[in-house]
Amino acid sequence: MERIDRLVRTWIASEQEQEIEDTVKEIEQGNATLLHIVKSLGEYLTSEEDDLRTKGVEFLSLVIARCPPEKLNRQSVRTLVTFYCGKLEDTETIIPALKGLTTLTKLPSFVSTDAVEVAKALFAHVKMNVLVQSQRFTVFTIIDNLVANQREALKNMGQEFIRGYVGLAEGEKDPRNLLLAFAIDRVLLIEFEVTNFIEDFFNITFCYFPITFRPPPNDPYGITTEDLRAALRSCLHATPAFGKLAIPLFLEKLTAGSPVTKKDTLDTLDVCLPVYGPTVAREFARKMWNTLKLEIFQPTDNVTEEKALKTTQVLIQTIYSATPAEKTDDAEIEGLAKEACEECIQILRQPEKSQAKHAIKVLCAFMSTTPSVSRFTLARAVPHFVKLFLDPDELPNRAPTLRLLADLIEAARESTSQDLEVLPDEGSVPLSSYKDEVVGILTVGLKTPASAYPAIDALKSMVRTPGLLTDEELGFVVHNVNEVLQKDEDESDLSDVSLDLLCTISAVAPSHVSDNTLPMLFSALPDRAPPRDADAERIKYWRTLASLKKLCTQPDLFETLVVRLVTKLDLLCVPATPAEQAVDDLEPAAAYAHSILKTLADVLSAKIELGHTDVVKYIDRLVPRLYNLFIYSALEAEERPMVATDPRLLAVTAQIVTLITQTLTAARQETFVKAVFAAYIDGDVSELAQGIQKIPAGKKFSPLEASASTYQRNLLVLFSAAVVALRKEVSLPVPDEVAFLDSLLQWIGAHAENALQREALMHLIAAVVNRHAEKLDAFLSSNVDAFWTSQIANTSSPAEARRNAILTYKWLTKALLVRGHARAMQNVDRLFELFDDEHVSWDAARAVGKVPGTDKVLTKRHHAVLRILYAQKYCNAVLPRIIEGAKASPQSPRHNAYLVALAALIKSVPKSTYAHEMPSLMPLLLRGLDLPDNEIRASVIDTLHAAALSSERDDAIIAEHASSLVSTMVKNSLVSQMPSVRVRVAALRYLAVLPSVVRYDVLHPQKATVIRELAKALDDPKRVVRSEAVEARTNWFKFSG
Amino acid sequence: MSSEVFNPNPTIFAPTKSKKSTKTYARLHSLWLDDGENDGYDEEYDQSDEPETIDQDEIFELIRSISDPEHRSMTLEQLAVVSAPQIVFDHNSPDRITVEFTPTVPHCGMSTFIGLSIRVRLLRSLPQRFKIDIRVKPGSHQSEHALNKQLNDKERVAAALENPALLEVLEQCLSTAGRTPQEE
Repeated sequence: MERIDRLVRTWIASEQEQEIEDTVKEIEQGNATLLHIVKSLGEYLTSEEDDLRTKGVEFLSLVIARCPPEKLNRQSVRTLVTFYCGKLEDTETIIPALKGLTTLTKLPSFVSTDAVEVAKALFAHVKMNVLVQSQRFTVFTIIDNLVANQREALKNMGQEFIRGYVGLAEGEKDPRNLLLAFAIDRVLLIEFEVTNFIEDFFNITFCYFPITFRPPPNDPYGITTEDLRAALRSCLHATPAFGKLAIPLFLEKLTAGSPVTKKDTLDTLDVCLPVYGPTVAREFARKMWNTLKLEIFQPTDNVTEEKALKTTQVLIQTIYSATPAEKTDDAEIEGLAKEACEECIQILRQPEKSQAKHAIKVLCAFMSTTPSVSRFTLARAVPHFVKLFLDPDELPNRAPTLRLLADLIEAARESTSQDLEVLPDEGSVPLSSYKDEVVGILTVGLKTPASAYPAIDALKSMVRTPGLLTDEELGFVVHNVNEVLQKDEDESDLSDVSLDLLCTISAVAPSHVSDNTLPMLFSALPDRAPPRDADAERIKYWRTLASLKKLCTQPDLFETLVVRLVTKLDLLCVPATPAEQAVDDLEPAAAYAHSILKTLADVLSAKIELGHTDVVKYIDRLVPRLYNLFIYSALEAEERPMVATDPRLLAVTAQIVTLITQTLTAARQETFVKAVFAAYIDGDVSELAQGIQKIPAGKKFSPLEASASTYQRNLLVLFSAAVVALRKEVSLPVPDEVAFLDSLLQWIGAHAENALQREALMHLIAAVVNRHAEKLDAFLSSNVDAFWTSQIANTSSPAEARRNAILTYKWLTKALLVRGHARAMQNVDRLFELFDDEHVSWDAARAVGKVPGTDKVLTKRHHAVLRILYAQKYCNAVLPRIIEGAKASPQSPRHNAYLVALAALIKSVPKSTYAHEMPSLMPLLLRGLDLPDNEIRASVIDTLHAAALSSERDDAIIAEHASSLVSTMVKNSLVSQMPSVRVRVAALRYLAVLPSVVRYDVLHPQKATVIRELAKALDDPKRVVRSEAVEARTNWFKFSG
Repeated sequence: MSSEVFNPNPTIFAPTKSKKSTKTYARLHSLWLDDGENDGYDEEYDQSDEPETIDQDEIFELIRSISDPEHRSMTLEQLAVVSAPQIVFDHNSPDRITVEFTPTVPHCGMSTFIGLSIRVRLLRSLPQRFKIDIRVKPGSHQSEHALNKQLNDKERVAAALENPALLEVLEQCLSTAGRTPQEE
């Protein structure tokens, strides 16, 4: 007891935390009770001195705030409540008393009678306008506690409580307090009897709308405009009773407000209207529509327009969803929907005017309101459009009319397709009663190019509406679209959209497309290639093939495509009677064959992208026929010219083979690769090549023999194509892989005649090394070492041979690098040794840079063994070395080699891997721009361009070098100084982005020069360059401080 | 800018297709389909050295996408204010061009501004050797003569560009000029 006395005295004198804590501890340990404390405080609590009284109550409040709740029994709470309520009367003690009450109102032993007492006391004594924010916050917290814990007691207080609360809440301005007040408001509005106070609540909530509060910078309370807006909104739609008062206010804000206010008002209306209910909505319907209409027909911006449309939708939904679901169609729509609809139809009488666009948006919005309104809208709008379309006076306006109709049909489709599982019954689709007329005018619309676009869009929406068109009608549509395809001579986008529509149809009903469209397209393909000068015919077959490519991804259609195209290919490459062929000029036929093969490759690639599983079966249906054709042609070519020996055909066939093999299982790959090796190594083609042409028995297929013809050797491309997509677990059908790879390595140097053959074997070796490196240690060490010494390091061999060997070496290294093999870096070290070589230094440098680049051979799709982030690791190891090397050797040939390596490297790795080095790279790259090699220059500029695009504004590194960048780029952009179009374009693109990444004051001195110099680029002989120059110059004109 | 609306509900025209929309695969003068295997596009660029002269379509490309000052969401082309045939090269001297435009209504108060925006766009994007005449289509505007005079008076154009408020609106209208119709 004495200890408490002492603590109290000390605290009154010093106001230190310590005494409070000690006192609480005493209570916790049971050494003292609250009674003791009150007794000790006695003299202060009743003191005549204001200051002491305040402190006395303060001390008590602080202690009970920290006191464990179980120490505050019913009796003490009761006493304390009475005590504090009494202290509210005293202006000196009201503040600590409020704090005490905050604690008490949360306690479990605080009961309903206490709640009533506290509420009454608050209402009687608290004057909000004399309290500061934190004290008002305490008051709101107390009420919030009461509302949360003692709701029933407060309800029983009836009007007294509501009136008292409104009195307290009125005039509050601080956002922190308002968040709390709004939460309380909402509970009262929903749960309490407030009928008589609606106006009061309206006043204390709607006066804050719209929220314009902006948090100050570094706001410690973290209250955002959104928080307040959401809290207030939750009050505004808490009761339907607000409706009549609220809507006029909303409309006023909508008419007069800023764009932000408008958006806020529209969003708020969206949530409020359904609560306010149909009666209110109907009463204000006309007024609301008049205001919303303004926002839709003369929108301030797109977002507001969208929101206004949304609100219109909500309004219509609110008005009409309440009326019992009229299933009968003849239930006439009255009121706003009807009036607005008629108003829009009135505007839509001039479909070509800009207002029509807005009017149709309103009708489209109506489609997703209630079934009855959407039926009604269709019943008004669709016949209107049909009539307009058929009106001879409106002939010029058919295209805009169909555009509007297409929008409406699409909106109708969107409104019905929510439930994809349930197929609607025949006739229940809203549009079905008009479909005959609509399909009728749409097919007429297809006949003229301008109206064909919207007609196709509309048909597409109809096809995509479940349950709308019958199979027969789909056939009719296909028939009409086919005509469009046939007629479209000048290759417009019309073919594209038509094909798109046919694709959509083939997804639901492939038979119409395969029975009608495909035969039409196939018959358009000539059997023989048009002669060299027949440009028009050639473009025609290209277009036909492009159409087929687009249509035939669907499995059934693809099967037909393969059969027809392969037949065509055989006929084309090996005509039945040799006389039919223009022997002197095979190129047009080869080009035609190439286009056919390319079509197959493209469709296959698209199918793989889509995950189609039917690709696998074409290893039996397509691949053997291709091998047959090409092997036959290569053997025959030794006697007479053959079409299918052209390297370009081989390249695209290789693509097809690889696309198909990559989808096979390991087991199927194993059998396939056996057949391939039997043919290429042992000369037995029976397993691999099957088809119409009979392989001549007298000739031997042996492309790897030293004596083989060029035609046979070129077929190594198809050897490689079969191997590059093999899975890791498939082993090659050779007795010794090391010996096999070494023989190929030697073959490249000794027998390869052209890049085609070389590359084929490089890819093959790289693929095998990548899959089986762990079994190939002997090859990778001794054979590769020997290869390096004899074919690359050996300065006495011709430079050309050494260059090719470096390429092979690059592929070997790449194959190892991507799988994270340690030997890759040893190989790269050797390449650096060549940087001083006068003949091959640039080639070695390019190889160093290109090793980590992505390629089309070692890919995930091809089942290559890939380690993640290999490019990053490589870059981290090599980049510092290049920078170091370039800095250490200025003015020497070695220096340029480093710059070449750098240019190649940054082009082949992701930007993130070198971004951190940018400050030291920039000067080197700038020097790279002086190298006498346009390809390097272009790729350096591309790199700089990519870096500039992704950099932030005010990029410090670019700013630092701004003036030299500008002058170099200007130099590279003028035809008088730079012959390469590619470099000029790149330089101009770079100049175009500079103003958006560098501060004006940095570039200001250059502005006049750039604008003057670019005026010359505007007169460039090439159109592509001119258009980049226009863009760049415009950006510099706009660039100002 | 006055807030008077001169033509609240103008007619919209479908944009014509860009000339350049020939298919990528159809490389003219080539037998072969572009198979996308050539990784450097430099070859394609540098292949022919023959110069391509600036023609009607190229100039039209420059001005078709300028925004209408009254209906900012629409381009001059959509409102048929400008069109390719209205750009004419002088037969006698190849560097003289006449660009004609058609106001949507004869009392259109924005016509000077539209003319000015065309003028500025071409000043910035055509080589200086060109001499450009900008005029309204004969009979399409009530003060045609005054307009033509104003638009081709160097000093008045320069003076107009000194007005910062005017220049700001001008830049806004020109900001869409680089866009092709497909992007919109």
